[in-house]
Amino acid sequence: MKETIKNTTLADRLLFFLLISLSVSGIFISRDALSQGSDVIVEVDGKPAYTLPLNADKRLSIDGPYGPTLIEIEKGKVRVKESHCRNQICVRDGWTSRGAIVCLPNKLVIIVGGSNKYQKQGIDAITG
Amino acid sequence: MKMPKSCLYFLFFVCLLLTSCSPNKLSTYKKSKALMDTFVTITVVADSQETAEKVIENAFDVIGKYGDLINFYSDKSELSAINRSAGIHEVRVSPETLDTIERAVFVSEKSAGAFDPTIGPETKLWDFVKKIRPSDAEIKKNLPLVNYKNIIIDKGKSTVFLRKKDMLLDLGGIAKGYAADLAVQALKQKGIASGLVAIAGDIKAFGLKPDNKPWVVGIKNPRQKSSEDEIIAKVTLSDKAISTSGDYERYFIIDGQRFHHLLVPATGQPAYSCQSATVIADKGVMTDGFDNALFILGPEKGLELAKEMGLNAMIIDSKGAIHTTSGLQGKLIIERDH
Repeated sequence: MKETIKNTTLADRLLFFLLISLSVSGIFISRDALSQGSDVIVEVDGKPAYTLPLNADKRLSIDGPYGPTLIEIEKGKVRVKESHCRNQICVRDGWTSRGAIVCLPNKLVIIVGGSNKYQKQGIDAITG
Repeated sequence: MKMPKSCLYFLFFVCLLLTSCSPNKLSTYKKSKALMDTFVTITVVADSQETAEKVIENAFDVIGKYGDLINFYSDKSELSAINRSAGIHEVRVSPETLDTIERAVFVSEKSAGAFDPTIGPETKLWDFVKKIRPSDAEIKKNLPLVNYKNIIIDKGKSTVFLRKKDMLLDLGGIAKGYAADLAVQALKQKGIASGLVAIAGDIKAFGLKPDNKPWVVGIKNPRQKSSEDEIIAKVTLSDKAISTSGDYERYFIIDGQRFHHLLVPATGQPAYSCQSATVIADKGVMTDGFDNALFILGPEKGLELAKEMGLNAMIIDSKGAIHTTSGLQGKLIIERDH
């Protein structure tokens, strides 16, 4: 073994370390590329309160300063079904599968996943 | 004690790896917040998280304060004061509100009324969640209230007056772009040389990313096939703003016909010649205003106006065909499956 190492040149050793580095970083790259699935994150008063899978139909009621807000997840989309806030902007937003629904009076932000896929493709933001 | 050569090489590589992750290296930092009834994300290139947090929070404050001035739904906003005083008296406003209204009128004039910030009395008749479509009579009744020429601006006195009672000024079609401009200005004043401000789909990019490459913005497919977000094209940007208007944002379908929120100011009915219109320009206030105008005008007249105004644009017509200005050549990548 010692003899083998002794016989290697500088280039051999550089190549050896390069291959080791590449294989180690490869573990992280491939882990990152795996699909994580989309989540719905509900933030109350600026802090994450609930994380729910987007692919499981569910209803969630959250109390706020203007009473309960009813959030509905169905067929990979989310909406605010009912809210007692004055302007109903969150309800009028309707169903969404990406981005966020905001209810400022109830201090509620619903963030819908899905952008990770595009971050991996080097997309920094989405318009539309 | 003599260290074997292989160990030295190994240490050399470790040092290389460590220096590449040194804390003073420029990195991107991103933070989001709910402001202006939407989701705002700011990305900056900074030397530390502490610096990034400080400058982003300052930019959020700037957006928040501006949003309070022009909030259509808040009784306390300057915009609501203007609307309440329609047909009665003029209202003194801040320089930011005055500037936004002036620019809205500018876009209206240049687009011959295709964009009109006084469309409020028509939009309030529609409910895209409850699928409420107003009758033709209701639409017709409110049409005389829609005319940007009835916005009277006195720059000297810093006042705004709506000539007719029940007129409603709604800056929703231009304010997010204006806010993106304000936020970028605030970031630059704090020493940030590169970043991206995204107020929903109104985005402004400045400088380059740490890898010296421009920012990349995806343009949403107006007819995506799944519930997952789909991108129809990508565009590279630096020191430019981008905005998109589409018929997929708020809509309902009855008997196969799509009714959406982008109304023709002259008729009060949805515009049908486009699926989406994307505009790229130096200022967010221009992209946000003109994307509406181009959508209403359609691909031919829309691209003509874009060229005349020195804007770049991508319009997807009602059949899904993509039309672009020549200035986008080399900057736009259309996705393979479209």
